[in-house]
Amino acid sequence: MKLNKRILLQFIVFIVLVSIFLVLLNNLIVNILRTQIGLSFKWLLQPAGFALSESVLPFNPSNTYLWALCIGWLNSMKVVLSSLILATFIGTLIGMGRISRNRLIYIFSSSYVTFIRQIPLLLQLFFWYFVAFLSLSDIPLGYLGGLIQISNQGLFLLGVKLSVEFSALLIGLSIYTAASIAEIIRGGFTSVDKGQWEAYRSLGLPEKIGLARIIFPQALPAILPGLTSQYLNLAKNSTLAIAIGYADIYAVSDTTITQTGRAIEGFLLLLISFLILNLVISRAMEMVNKRILETVNRS
Amino acid sequence: MKRLTSFYKYSHLNKLVLNISRQIPITKKRQHRPLEAILSISILAIFLVSLINFFNWILFHAEWNVVTGNIRLYAFGSFPQLYLWRPILWILLIIITSLLSIFSNRKSQIYNSLILAWILIVPIGIFLLAGGLILEPVASMYWGGFILTLLLTLSSGLIAFPIGILLALGRQSEMPAINKISRIYIDIIRGLPLITVLFFGQLLIPLFLPMDFEINRIIRAVIAFAIFTAAYIAEDIRGGMQSIPTTQKEAAVVLGLDKSQTNILILLPQALKTAIPALTNQAIGLLQNTSLMAILGLVELLGISRSLLANPAFIGKYLEVYVWLGLIYWLACTCIALIARSIEQKMQPTNLNAK
Repeated sequence: MKLNKRILLQFIVFIVLVSIFLVLLNNLIVNILRTQIGLSFKWLLQPAGFALSESVLPFNPSNTYLWALCIGWLNSMKVVLSSLILATFIGTLIGMGRISRNRLIYIFSSSYVTFIRQIPLLLQLFFWYFVAFLSLSDIPLGYLGGLIQISNQGLFLLGVKLSVEFSALLIGLSIYTAASIAEIIRGGFTSVDKGQWEAYRSLGLPEKIGLARIIFPQALPAILPGLTSQYLNLAKNSTLAIAIGYADIYAVSDTTITQTGRAIEGFLLLLISFLILNLVISRAMEMVNKRILETVNRS
Repeated sequence: MKRLTSFYKYSHLNKLVLNISRQIPITKKRQHRPLEAILSISILAIFLVSLINFFNWILFHAEWNVVTGNIRLYAFGSFPQLYLWRPILWILLIIITSLLSIFSNRKSQIYNSLILAWILIVPIGIFLLAGGLILEPVASMYWGGFILTLLLTLSSGLIAFPIGILLALGRQSEMPAINKISRIYIDIIRGLPLITVLFFGQLLIPLFLPMDFEINRIIRAVIAFAIFTAAYIAEDIRGGMQSIPTTQKEAAVVLGLDKSQTNILILLPQALKTAIPALTNQAIGLLQNTSLMAILGLVELLGISRSLLANPAFIGKYLEVYVWLGLIYWLACTCIALIARSIEQKMQPTNLNAK
């Protein structure tokens, strides 16, 4: 009797959802038939006709839409990977600051985290783009003996030129994500049993060795899953690139959809490319996790 | 300390400890390190110099007329001047409800009706803004600024919350069909960037509706935000449910409660309570995320600022506007955090033991 009731409940929920889905699908088909454009992916091979502000591989307006979308995907990948490295670096520093016994460093890193988290990322990106970069003069400011040069044309790092859109996005995303990464690092370190800290301190081990050889390996299992989800967040947040005119996958899809009017097909492609981006990151992190945990366990 | 004592249980470890302590000179707990001192001083110096520069700019160099001259736009968008009392009244109602949530006593009559007040604030707000019945109607294209940000946040939060609870229950359910459906929904939505969901809302929702059936852009945005936020709320509540000790479930079984009674009467209230910090973060995230509608063409707080900055009279006044916006968002987020913290404190069952 009880079993029947549960099966009935599931059946009802299932039927309701399926019928909602069918009604929506029916509307969609009616709408597509009405507009008479139908569904097709042939337009992907037509020339795109728009230029991209920057591309990893060569691109010009006579190339196909398909190639434009690929370039957009690669551009996304480029900004995600580089901000991932920078964010991890800043985040680790700030996270260490959050457990520091030095009051000043502690206060500085705590206020960094609270301040950055209370302001929308989009506003921060606008700040970096319009205020920090575009209001500079075109005469580059050099730091560290000319190794880093900043101007309203972008960043010059060790002879590599980064466009101003890319630089603003890189810095904005990294600084924003670093705040969350710092919290994860801090959480990982505080999750290590207090006795372990007391143990290495009472053994007289220097702080640096104790942190690196005793606390850090034990904190890693708690840090890595959180880190992966922050990297995925970073990838998702990178789609805000469109606001400052960086040609990432979302921006290119948006232009493509506006030009061709192929909203459904374009949206499907966008979903698929995002799925691939997510898969790449989570698979890579899985491998890294495995590697790191193996070496930690061995030593 | 527990682990430390176990160190000495084993003689070979004892030897190791002795060896290590012989090799390394014993360091004092607090040592003066020149590097750390230099680091501290330079951080302090950089911090102070930038602070002084910043306040110097705020007080003497910034031209605040882009802010002071347009307060009405930031607050209400281009809402008709004649009916401005309506959004003002709504904001007053929100402020009163917030203050009551923070300061009212948990045993008082007012406290118990606060949930109802927060639910009612959304339809009241829509009625005050849109008009109808006795009020003159105002088209939604005139809504903007901070009231639009508030409306988007509150109404999508209100829709997303019950959906989130249902999804969390579904995700915990032992019925395979319901479990699978909730899991697929949560995983897909959490894998997508918010802007694609909003884009779906603006461009594709009309395609899924019957012909000649149009819903306006704000409602489409609210639906998209609700679809997105519900998945995150579900995960937070599920986390709360998993943190409940299994003894609670066993106690419910002993009392003769069935599955759904256990979920609704025993697990859910406790899960909601433990999930409050996570849900607060979701609320703050939702408020910040409404700024994305600026990209998709709504004139909420960030959107109205973008159109102001495009005005030739205010060209180049980016920093003034962004500092001002940062301040507003910061204040709004802090208010949410304050309200949530006071609610959380009132939910602590200290009074039970006091009896």
